[in-house]
Amino acid sequence: MMVKTTLQGGLIYLTMVFFTATLVAFGFKRRTLAKGFWFAGFLAALSSVIWRGIHTGHPPMQNLFEFFLCMAAFLWPLSQLSRWKNDMDTTVKDATLGLIILFPVGFVFSEAVRRLPPALQSPLFVPHVASYVAGYIMLARAALMSLPMFKRSSTKVEIVGADIASRQTVVVGFLLITIGLVLGSLWGKLCWGHYWQWDPKETWSLATWLIYGVYFHLRMKTGLRKPRQLATFLWIGLLFIVLTLTWINLSRMFSGMHNYA
Amino acid sequence: MKKLINKIAGLGVAVCGCGVLSLASIVLAFFGSEKSIQLMATAPALGISAFIALLLILRGGYAVFTTRYHSALLHLGCACVVSGWLMGQVAPYIGGEDKPVKGSMAMVDGDVMNALWEGAYLTNYVGKVPFTVKLDKFIIDYYESSHVDQSAGRMPPIKEYRSRITITEPGKDPYVKNVRVNHPVYVDGYHIYQMSWGQSQNRQGQPVTYTVLQFIRDPGLWFVYSGFVIIFAGILLFCIRMFKAKAILPSSDREVTQ
Repeated sequence: MMVKTTLQGGLIYLTMVFFTATLVAFGFKRRTLAKGFWFAGFLAALSSVIWRGIHTGHPPMQNLFEFFLCMAAFLWPLSQLSRWKNDMDTTVKDATLGLIILFPVGFVFSEAVRRLPPALQSPLFVPHVASYVAGYIMLARAALMSLPMFKRSSTKVEIVGADIASRQTVVVGFLLITIGLVLGSLWGKLCWGHYWQWDPKETWSLATWLIYGVYFHLRMKTGLRKPRQLATFLWIGLLFIVLTLTWINLSRMFSGMHNYA
Repeated sequence: MKKLINKIAGLGVAVCGCGVLSLASIVLAFFGSEKSIQLMATAPALGISAFIALLLILRGGYAVFTTRYHSALLHLGCACVVSGWLMGQVAPYIGGEDKPVKGSMAMVDGDVMNALWEGAYLTNYVGKVPFTVKLDKFIIDYYESSHVDQSAGRMPPIKEYRSRITITEPGKDPYVKNVRVNHPVYVDGYHIYQMSWGQSQNRQGQPVTYTVLQFIRDPGLWFVYSGFVIIFAGILLFCIRMFKAKAILPSSDREVTQ
């Protein structure tokens, strides 16, 4: 646990304060104020990402600190998209997700700047990582949107609404992680000589991709007859993502070619 | 026919298959990269992969027949990737020493070679490439030294390292290429990679810097790349379908979708 006393740290904590204020304002049913805080939080998160990019001189997607920072800045545009596309207000879920994402950024990960090693100097670096950032966020949101599918008290209309919102979100997330996986393969071929090395991070990513494969096939097989089962697979997918970002990234048990990430 | 295909490559099989493969993938993560590569090169693993490719082709082919194009593209794309990977896996058994699929050369400035080696210390001979490589110069560039580097009394990190090589193909004029990390050079079916470098001593006991170039030939590569493109097209169609699809409920509950 460490507190950052730099401008970067200040921007991160400011974002966290705005996200918390959003939740508090929502709790007191001050929706306009909450929206204002939510947007201010986005501006702070965006400033944090931009400052990191300027400060380091490279796209801020090199390590977990930068990866999570970018994830937090993606949330506001996505919640606006949900409002526009699915007519759903996901501000509380997104702000909570933002706080969960920013906690390790603010208090656990180091912000020390590393100069890019030769392997990371590739035009595929940003699209590969960015599609995973966006994909993981979408899939995390899909899991949150599926929550009414677990409740016994949910009406059928609520279940259908949750299904449509989570399904549309998960399919975009799936598209993005597929792009990430394919770009990673192409980059692996250019950098390491092979498109697939059975590296622990690769195999966990494939496992995640396949879990969403289970979800889509199950969705087609059973329709909405077993909503809880469908939602369970979305949460297993999210569990795999969390494990990929934490245990697989940080444990020595899974050391491999992605070690600098 | 329809019943048979749905039985051996239907949605139930797909749900279980994806689940089992997902778990198998996690198990491989515990083995680590090296052991997993060895395990996946064994006959049972190749047999299972070939069976999966066949199921995917069956499902994809049937989807073409029933005009479910997103499903056809997705399954045939996956089949293409698995088949391409299988082609790469069986290539060593077909090529032999005349056409090695993978090997490395450790070279110092001025060396001329065409033999490939493998193993931790590159002591096992694997074969010869159909051209010769001369290392003109191995070059290392460092980042500018920062005040942190200076106060710690250390070298700044490496920015780039590259091997300038002259390639001589039979019947062609020699030409010069730069092999850099992330920028392999393609020569006569082989991709040449800048893998690593190190320092050692020559026979006179003087320090020398060597570079390790890796040579890889993969006949299934274009199958895999084509598979990627087909999968991408399939997912785009699938996205459109998923956005248009209405909720499917048991018949008694249909009114809620109206």
